[in-house]
Amino acid sequence: MRALNLHLKILIVLLVSVGVLVTAYQIFVLGIPVTEDETDDLWNIDARVEFQANPREPVKVQMFAPPLNQNYVSLNESFISNNYGVSVNQVDNNRRVTWSARRTSGKQTLYYRLALTKRYTGDLPKPKGPVFRDSIPLEGAEKIAAEALLAPIREHSADVETFIGETIKRVNNLNDDNVKLLTAGNTSTPNRVRIVELLLSFAHVPMERVHTLRLITDQAVSPELWIRSFNGEKWLYFNPDTGEQGLPADRLIWWTGDEPLISVDGGKQAKVSFTLNNSELNAIGLAKMTDQNTDADFLEYTLYGLPLETQQTYQIMIMIPIGVLVILVLRNLIGIQTLGTFTPVLIALAFRETQVGFGIILFTLITALGLSLRSYLEHLKLQMLPRLSVVLTFVVVLIAVISLLSHKLGLERGLSVSLFPMVILTMTIERLSITWEERGGGHAFKVALGTIIAASLAHLLMNIPELTYFIFTFPTVLLILVGFMLAMGRYRGYRLTELFRFKAFLKE
Amino acid sequence: MINLWKRWKALEARGIMGINRRNADYVLKYNKRSLYPIVDDKIITKQRAIEAGIHVPELYGIIETEKEIEKLEQIIGEHSDFVIKPAQGAGGDGIMVIADRFEGRYKTVSGKIVTHDELEHHISSILTGLYSLGGHRDRALIEYRVKPDPIFKSISYEGVPDIRIIVLMGYPVMAMLRLPTRQSSGKANLHQGAIGVGVDLATGITLRGTWLNNKIAKHPDTTNPVDGVQLPDWDGFMRLAAGCYELCGLGYIGVDMVLDETKGPLILELNARPGLNIQIANDCGLALRTHKIEAHLAELKERGLQETPAERVRFSQELFGHVPSAAI
Repeated sequence: MRALNLHLKILIVLLVSVGVLVTAYQIFVLGIPVTEDETDDLWNIDARVEFQANPREPVKVQMFAPPLNQNYVSLNESFISNNYGVSVNQVDNNRRVTWSARRTSGKQTLYYRLALTKRYTGDLPKPKGPVFRDSIPLEGAEKIAAEALLAPIREHSADVETFIGETIKRVNNLNDDNVKLLTAGNTSTPNRVRIVELLLSFAHVPMERVHTLRLITDQAVSPELWIRSFNGEKWLYFNPDTGEQGLPADRLIWWTGDEPLISVDGGKQAKVSFTLNNSELNAIGLAKMTDQNTDADFLEYTLYGLPLETQQTYQIMIMIPIGVLVILVLRNLIGIQTLGTFTPVLIALAFRETQVGFGIILFTLITALGLSLRSYLEHLKLQMLPRLSVVLTFVVVLIAVISLLSHKLGLERGLSVSLFPMVILTMTIERLSITWEERGGGHAFKVALGTIIAASLAHLLMNIPELTYFIFTFPTVLLILVGFMLAMGRYRGYRLTELFRFKAFLKE
Repeated sequence: MINLWKRWKALEARGIMGINRRNADYVLKYNKRSLYPIVDDKIITKQRAIEAGIHVPELYGIIETEKEIEKLEQIIGEHSDFVIKPAQGAGGDGIMVIADRFEGRYKTVSGKIVTHDELEHHISSILTGLYSLGGHRDRALIEYRVKPDPIFKSISYEGVPDIRIIVLMGYPVMAMLRLPTRQSSGKANLHQGAIGVGVDLATGITLRGTWLNNKIAKHPDTTNPVDGVQLPDWDGFMRLAAGCYELCGLGYIGVDMVLDETKGPLILELNARPGLNIQIANDCGLALRTHKIEAHLAELKERGLQETPAERVRFSQELFGHVPSAAI
């Protein structure tokens, strides 16, 4: 007896610790979210490239694509193009897509599609950048204007950061004569950026153009020009139009440098338009998609690796142990009598299809009618088997009638009784009528009541979405459950009802 | 909540056995599953008992198939009273007791007249498994109808009172006299409303009783006190019960016996999962007594000894008899 106890203890400890450890590993090491509600934005960006191909000329289209080492992580990237060869290569800090075709003609449309989301794990590489540059040579009036502008800037700035800010501010003051001279009437952002670069080069401050895309839906977007400079530690971003500093969170860097977004050899009128849309994805779906682009294949061996339909079945199945646990607790700890051990769990599953409130009404109604028929048949002195067969047939007819009536009355609920609940119901009536024969009506009523209570409770627990998600995602939790069930197997204490049953002892 | 916890502690202190403890520590531990058919099938129990020389009600015949129902008349023969039982019935269900014959019909103990057809229908129900555990096909047995000793007249309503003794490894633990009431319609089953009356193991004198989980002192139908009645041939009952361990090999059983006015103590059936109301009837917990027996068994095992049924009866009577009900 002792050895068995030790054996059992070891087994329980083993199961529980494996369950706890694996679950903890999944949560803390793999970073699988604990609740389904942790959703993240998923961005789908479509870049549509259109151009007119020159006849009898090979076509080569080059377009920048966002580098993948930023605050956003790419989940999926696709290139949609007929008859074009596609290659992606790294050029300095940029990625460039090259579409090429030997021979095409007419209007061409190519798509580049990117799905991305905020990065929530992983470290970014340390940024690197230039900290010095040579001055751009200038002559004559332009040189004088530049120097005139630089003097107050120097005066009003303390470091690289404030210097750039001040420069942008000065250049944006279009009423200044020096600025007027330098812009020569062209006040577009690229030209102003050119002047900013010029001024900065005089102070040997390096500057880079950054082309960003604003992540926003329901608006036409096009790349925005920003500038950035490396201060030795990190990149400092500036909006050349407003002098605003720091890159907002909704900006995605598409490419850096002076080159245009797209260059087409063998074509003309190239145009790129962007469409963005945003969808929310639950955390696990996101993790799963991220998984394809990262090294950790942690979801490979979980239930998420199953086909989607199978997953849905398992989501129901994996909750059965919870229902069984409810019955175990109700019977062995509380002392509620139920019809058989697992019939309540089956009824709980049937409630899935009928909804619990309606299910209880239906269950009670049909069982009561079935039992009254049974007691009527009692008088006919039939053998048990034929009598039960009549009862079962009656139940089927009854369910059909109820479905029909409720449909006519406009209650679509009634139709929800499908094959599965019908089988469960007939089974319940059979068992209940046997109980009635053997133990009498009072006992049968008590058992039926216990069964409904147990089934409702099991149903409620089995249908908590958070719990379903948790157990489906961390199935090793079931081992902890098994540990508890094993321990329950040796529970010798009183049941709650026994405390009342044996009350007479304590009355003197 | 605190109240319940106190109640828990109080019950535990009195050694009251709960269902979980009975199942885990006694039924599962001492009763081998493969031996269950011996007690679950009354025909096998009877055959075993006869082989062991233990008294049982005489078997008139067995009906196993629908076809054999024709033999009913032949089995009954000249007997004017008899009992029809399912072999695997539980809790006294499906038992039909015929007290007399009347103009080609039968009269049950409760005075109801039944026809031969109804008897046959009843047997047919038994065969289809209506009353058997789990609804298996069953056999019906027709046997001698026990005539209760007149001693029970004053404290019993119709039916046959029976005596149940819980036996652990051959040692009687606790005894109870079950008295039918009007509510139990002549049946001796507590859950149907019969009274359970505790019995002093040493003397066979009845103690007070339980009815529907309450303590009582008087029979609700006859209003006679149920305590202080000396059961005849008590040692005979004790020996019979103790001998059932050898008969079936199950370590924890309830032995149901009756006292026939001419044949004395007879074994009716054995139960591998005896109920717990016997504790209320005796106003005493089972656990304290079973622990004493288990300690005694451990001691015997150490010394390599085994005791005969007579020695076991003496052990139980010395330890558990003559004791004010609350002490042990």
